This record gives sequence, C-alpha cells and structure tokens, in this order.
Amino acid sequence: MGFLKIEDLKVHFPIKGGLFGRTIDHVRAVDGVSFTLEKGKTYGLVGESGSGKSTTGRAIIGLNHVTSGKVYFEDKEITGVTKAKSDFRKDIQMIFQDPYSSLNPKKRVIDLVAEPLRNFEKLSRKEERIRVQELLELVGLNPESILKYPHEFSGGQRQRIGIARAVALKPKLIIADEPVSALDVSVQAQVLNFMKEIQDELDLTYMFISHDLGVIKHMCDHIGIMYKGRYVEEGTAKEIFDNPQHIYTKRLVAAIPDIDPRKREEMKQFRAEVNSEYEQSYNDYFNEEGLAYGLKPITDTHLVALPEKG
Amino acid sequence: MEANVEVKAKEVIKSPSGFSVVWRELIKDKLALISLIFLIGVTAFVYGTAIFLDQEEIVKVDLFSIYEPPGEEFILGTDYGGRDVFGQLIIGTRNSLSIAILVTLMTGIIGIIYGLVSGYFGGHIDNIMMRILDFFLILPFTMIVIAFVAIVPKYSVWTFSLIMTAFLWMGIARLVRSKALAEKELDYIQAARTLGTSNFKVVFKHLLPNVSSIIIVNMTINLAGNIGLESGLSFLGFGFPESTPSLGTLLSYARNPQTLEFRWWIWVPASLMILLLMLAVNNVGTALRRAVDARQRRG
Amino acid sequence: MWKFSVRRILIMIPQLFVLSLLIFVLAKMMPGDALSGQIDPNIDPARIEELRIEMGWYDPWHEQYARWVGGVMQGDFGMSFRFKMPVTELIGQRIVNSFWLSVATLILTYLIAIPLGITSGRYNDTFRDQLITGYSYVGFATPLFIFALVMLWVFGFQLQWFPTSGSVEPGMEPGTFDYFMSKFYHLLLPALSMALITTFNTILYLRNEIIDTKQKDFILLARSKGASESRVYNQHIFRNSLLPIAAFFGFEITGLIGGSIFIENIFGYPGMGQLLIESISLRDFSVVTATTLLFGIASILGALISDIILSLVDPRIRIK
Repeated sequence: MGFLKIEDLKVHFPIKGGLFGRTIDHVRAVDGVSFTLEKGKTYGLVGESGSGKSTTGRAIIGLNHVTSGKVYFEDKEITGVTKAKSDFRKDIQMIFQDPYSSLNPKKRVIDLVAEPLRNFEKLSRKEERIRVQELLELVGLNPESILKYPHEFSGGQRQRIGIARAVALKPKLIIADEPVSALDVSVQAQVLNFMKEIQDELDLTYMFISHDLGVIKHMCDHIGIMYKGRYVEEGTAKEIFDNPQHIYTKRLVAAIPDIDPRKREEMKQFRAEVNSEYEQSYNDYFNEEGLAYGLKPITDTHLVALPEKG
Repeated sequence: MEANVEVKAKEVIKSPSGFSVVWRELIKDKLALISLIFLIGVTAFVYGTAIFLDQEEIVKVDLFSIYEPPGEEFILGTDYGGRDVFGQLIIGTRNSLSIAILVTLMTGIIGIIYGLVSGYFGGHIDNIMMRILDFFLILPFTMIVIAFVAIVPKYSVWTFSLIMTAFLWMGIARLVRSKALAEKELDYIQAARTLGTSNFKVVFKHLLPNVSSIIIVNMTINLAGNIGLESGLSFLGFGFPESTPSLGTLLSYARNPQTLEFRWWIWVPASLMILLLMLAVNNVGTALRRAVDARQRRG
Repeated sequence: MWKFSVRRILIMIPQLFVLSLLIFVLAKMMPGDALSGQIDPNIDPARIEELRIEMGWYDPWHEQYARWVGGVMQGDFGMSFRFKMPVTELIGQRIVNSFWLSVATLILTYLIAIPLGITSGRYNDTFRDQLITGYSYVGFATPLFIFALVMLWVFGFQLQWFPTSGSVEPGMEPGTFDYFMSKFYHLLLPALSMALITTFNTILYLRNEIIDTKQKDFILLARSKGASESRVYNQHIFRNSLLPIAAFFGFEITGLIGGSIFIENIFGYPGMGQLLIESISLRDFSVVTATTLLFGIASILGALISDIILSLVDPRIRIK
C-alpha cells in the first residue's frame, strides 16, 4: 500500500438550469483518476488550465466535494472528511497559488502562522511566539517581523509565510497548488529550491500541481499528466521527458523552451513536426468526445492512455 | 534596545492603524469634524442633564400654564398640557437617541449573523434565507410596524424597539451576505479550512474582520435613518408611549393645525434637533465611508 | 425572458400566501371581533355567543382562514363597524384618491429627478453638480414628515397658496372641469412635498450611472468616431442610463405607501394611508386588515413588475 492512494476519483459539478433551477448536467472536472504517492518523493500533476489538476488536489484535502472514488492516506480512508479537527488535517497541508489572497489581510504574521498551532496544539503565548519565530527563520524570514501585516511583504516573502504556516504542524504531505506561478520568474527559482531544501530537512512528501513543465521537471520524481479531467500519461520524470508516448504529452514536452539560441531553428522545426503529428493522430488518441482512454501499462511505472487494440 | 524602539516607531508609520486613518479623514473633512463635536456635545448634554431632570415632573399636566410662549419661566414655552417644552426636548432627544442606538445595534447583530451564515454556507441555505429576506424587504415598513404596534397587548419601549428591529435587519444582512460571498472565494478562507480551523472560527475570526469596516459605515448611516423612523412613528402616535416623550412626540402636537400655525415653539425646536442629528450622523458616516475606501480618501 | 417571468411569478405565490397568513394572524390577534362593536350591548350575552358560533368564530383556524381568503378573492372584506358599511365600499372611495396622489408624486419625482440627475452626471464635479448633490444629500437626511409639515406651514398656512386639507372643495359637482381642477389643486402640495424628498434616490442613481457610462469603451469609441457631444449623450448615454430608472417605479410603490401614510395624515387627504391610521385609532379592525392586505399586495406586485422590466432591460439579472 502506498502513502497516499487515490482510487477512481471523480469530482462533478452540477449545472443548474431550466425553470426551477434543477440540475440538468454536470461538469466532469475530475473524471476517474487513480494514482499513488510514495513517501518522501515529489509527485507532479500537470495539465492545462481547466484540466482538473487543482480540483484533484483540493478534493484530496477536502475543499471540493468528492462525487465518487476513494482517497486513502497511510491506509486510512479520508474521502470526503470535512470535519475541521480530523487527524489527517495535521498530516496533509496545502500551499496556495496566490500569495496575495491566501493570507488574511487583517491578520498579523504571528496570527497567520500560529493559526494551525492554535487549532491543534495547546501552547502558551510564549511557546507559540518562539515556535512562530523558529518557523519564520526556517523559511528565511526575519523573526522580528512577526507583528507586520501581509501587505508589507513581497510576493516571494508572502509565499514563504504560506509555507511556514503549512509546515507548522510538521505535516507528512504537502499539496502545493501552483505555488510559484504567481511569482516573478527570478523569485520562482528561489522558492522552489527552498522547498526542496525543507523537503529533506522535514522529510516531506510533495504533491506538486503546475501547468509549467519546466518547474515540474525541476522538482518531481513522478509525473501525472491530465487532460479534461482524465489522465493521459503517468510515469517517472525520466520516462515522461525522455520517452513520452501519448501525443498530448509529446506536444507538452516539445513546448518546453530551450535556452540555447543555436538550437532555435531545430526546436522550431521539431515543434512543427509534433504539431502536425498531433493534428493527424488526434482521433487515434482520443475518443469521440475528445476524452482520453483508460491507462495501459507500458513498463512497471509508465502508464499511457491508449485505445483498446483492435 | 533603543534601536529596537526606533524600528517599532517606523513600523507604525508604515502601516497606519484603522483608527488613525479615520482620524486623519475627520481632520481633513471639517464638516464631519464639526458634526462629530456637535454629536458628542449634544449626547453629553442630554444624557448629563437628563439625570437631574425629573421625567415625571416634566410630563405632568399643569393646567395653569397651557400654551405659554417662550419666556423667562419656560425657555421654549409649554404645550397643551402646560408641560415645559425645553425639558421635553432634552428628555425626548435622549430617548430618541437611545432607541435609535438600540435598534441599530440589534439590527446590526441580526443582520451580520444572518448575512454571514447565508453568504458563507451558500447553496440551498443561502437560497432559502434570501427568499425570506426578500419577503421582509417587500413589506412596507411603516404600515407593518403600525399594524404590529396596534395589536401588541403590553406595549412598552422594549416591544417597540423589537418590532422596529424585526423589520429593519434586511439591509445590513444583504450587504454582509454579498461581501461574504465575494470574500469566501478568496484563498485565505480556503487556507484556514485546510489548517483545521472550524467553520465557526472561519466565519467570525476571518470573514467578519474583513467585512467589519463596511458594517460600521452602514450602521452609522442606519443610525441616522433610525432616528428619523422612530420620530416618524412617534409622530403618527405609534412610537413611544406619551409618558416617555421622544422628539417625534413633540412633533406630533403639530398634527393639530392650530399648533402648527400659531405655536411654532412646540414643534420647530424638535424638528431642528432631528434634522441636525440626522445630518451630523450622516456626515460622520460619509467621512467613515471615505476612510474605509482608500480610493476616496482625502487625507 | 418568459422563463424568468414565469419563475418570478411562481416566487410571488408563496409571498402572497405568507402575507395573507401574516395579516390573518394579525387580525385574529386584534382585540375584539366584528360583533363587539356592531351589537347593542343590551342583548343577552348568550345570544352573542350563539351568533359567534353561527359566524364560525370557534371553527378551526384553517377553515376560518380559507373562508376569509375566499371572501377577499370575491372582494368581500367584511363590514366596517364604525362606518356601518362594507369595507370594500369604504376603501373604494379612498383608493382612488391614493392612486391619484401616487401618480402625481411619481410624475413629479421623475420631472425633478431626470433633469437634475442628467445635469449632475454630465457636468460632474462642477458647481451645478455640487448644488444638486448637496440638495439630494439634505433630502436623504430629512425625514419626509418634517419636510411635509414645513411645506404645509409655509405654503398652506403662512402664504395660503394651497388648501390645507381635503381632496376637493366641498360642494363641487363631480365630473365638471372645476371639480377636476379642485382635485388637482388639492393634490399638488402633498405630491410635491413627497416628490421633493423621495427624488434624491433617483437623482443619485442617475448621476452615478451616467458617470459610469461616460467612461465605458463604447462611449470613447463613439467620441473617437467624431460623434458630437450632444449626440453621444442623447444616443448612447441616456438610453443606457434611463432604462433602469423606468424599471424602478415598481420598487417605488413600497416607498410611496410608507410616504402616503405620513403625507395623507399631515395634509388631511382622504386616502388609504389616512384610513389606516383612522381605523386603528377607532379600533375598526376589519378596515385595518383590508388596508394592510391591499398595501402589502401592491408592494409585492410592484416588486414583480420592476423585476420583470429590469430583466428586459438588463439581461444580467435573468441569469441569477
């Protein structure tokens, strides 16, 4: 059994309509997704916007209602637990995309970082203050700044506050939902490297959600690629980047920018090739509704969504 | 040590507290400042002198001094029962202010809780709660309050304020709901939930502080409105009982055409008092509104 | 569009039901019953009891309610025991007066609000605009009844330009031109008093709407294409800003009812608002019930009309 196991997860949102506002249809945001996370590793979930990757992350931690399917954490089912004080809340934490809206503007840093501590641990004011200062130091912020408001920090600093808060309870798993996409490129690398550092230090498992394959390549051991609520391919980072099987993955990988200017022409041609292949063979890889097929194993770790042969 | 103090001082300059923003706005807006001073002055005066005035004495009928015009004995003359108008004005202002404040607070509390619950939980709960609110909103306020006042058996100041509250909480509830709806989509609310914070705490510790400024502004403006509503109902004879005069009670004597035409001293001072109070509260409210909305600040 | 209207009308049904239930409960709670005023006190109390049973006073509440609603649907509100006439007849005279007062007030409100709102919005932050917003600010803070008292005092009693009570000169022949003019003359001061105070809402709404529209891209486009200033305003801005105003008149009904209670009492104008206050002080509860119900229904219908017109004008509302 894995560390975190997702089985056939579905998250559907109702579409209301008609005379009485009945549910007439559903948006299948996540439509049958299964995967497993290994302890201490980083799992990347990639897809374009609207592919259901964020919804998957939010459903795991209980922010979105799960329509069907199961979520196991350390062999215990945690599907659809919405109670605030459940045990797994200590163990699974989340880092949000937007460091501007994810911190309550009316609270001081000490209140922000101490919020999870106050929910789960009974600390005296002094102990709490010391813990918060330790956490700030850990994420590389000035421990003196505990009385400041979030708007006095830069985006990167604010994201560090968000991280300090997420690791406050010594969680085992952190779901990072596009943690750097709202930041300047120069700050992105800083935050990513810092996240890697604390991963070793605190023995963390990451589930890393991003649309940016470059970031994913930098961070992840395993990768899942989503398209329209389904998986199109899953495998180790090496398998995905060196040997992409699904046409959608190929196209994504081809789109990663290369910094070497001498290869510019070569890359351009390569992309055009992949693109024309994508257009030609689209119908082979997707069904009539434009959705991906079920996953078929190629190797032990490498799974690709291919149609039934025949 | 000294350096530390300096750092602290700098921080204060960097992020001014809510109070100092409001204060700066008031200083810039002379009209609001005068209004505030007027309000504090009037409030202190009426509550202060009302301690020494005997309400029983003032509302007692004295047949020997009916309709005295203003003079040495009675600064503002007397009414049809020979009662001192000036004394009634002081007690009336106090009573009107008290009930307006009471009703504003009660409607505020109900409205805030209703709006927060409806906005935060959303979905079916919100739908049903909004239907109920819409119904209350449609009812013509004056009419329904009059009907209720007419049938309540043991009528007192308390029942009056409860009836007013029952039909005045909707505005603030709607405002708080729409703010809560917008606010709850922001990640900090979602974040609080992943950190294990209970719904109750999320609503009152996260949501409420972020909508509080607009609530305060709205309640200030409501206070002005409630002074007007109370005096209006008392004017029609459906507010305070006559034994506890309000500003509206004094005005209701003007429903007698004789009084309206010839005995201005009975109703003009009370009218002016209502007008000035409402204008002053509104001025302060507008200054607060500007202080809350950074784009409109003058200071 | 029709879908929204149907849904909106369906919402109205429970509203009407709750309103009628509320008023029924109010009526039941009111002290005394139809008999206590009507019957000679010398009659044997046992006979009164018999009559009460006959009239269904002790029937289960839902049967009484059904009977009451049935009567109301047929226009039967019972007897006024003060005026000794059917309530329907009594209300009939008053409702016409109130109707004309409301119409006059609405017309005056728009006559004042539209030019002022347009001027204020078009020339915002000029001296003219400051005067107009200042006026609406004071209007917002002035209670209607105080303003009405002052108007009556100044124009009715001191200057004697207008009559101080009634809806028509006594002894006029109904149907004649003089009768009509007299009615109009009596209407003018109350309607004007109400309009001058209630107009601030519309002025401020119009002003903000115009200032908003002025900065929209399609106005910039019209300007850049070389449309003249007056054309920009007449063709584009006013059309966009005035339509919602037209739709608001349904919501105004609730305000008009509240206002008419004050205005009719101050100006001694024999309409529904005066009737309500009169009948409460006379403890004529069948009349109170009827007026309250009619006022409530008028408000609900007003909101319905406004919502439907608004949905025509502003498609965004339909989606909610």
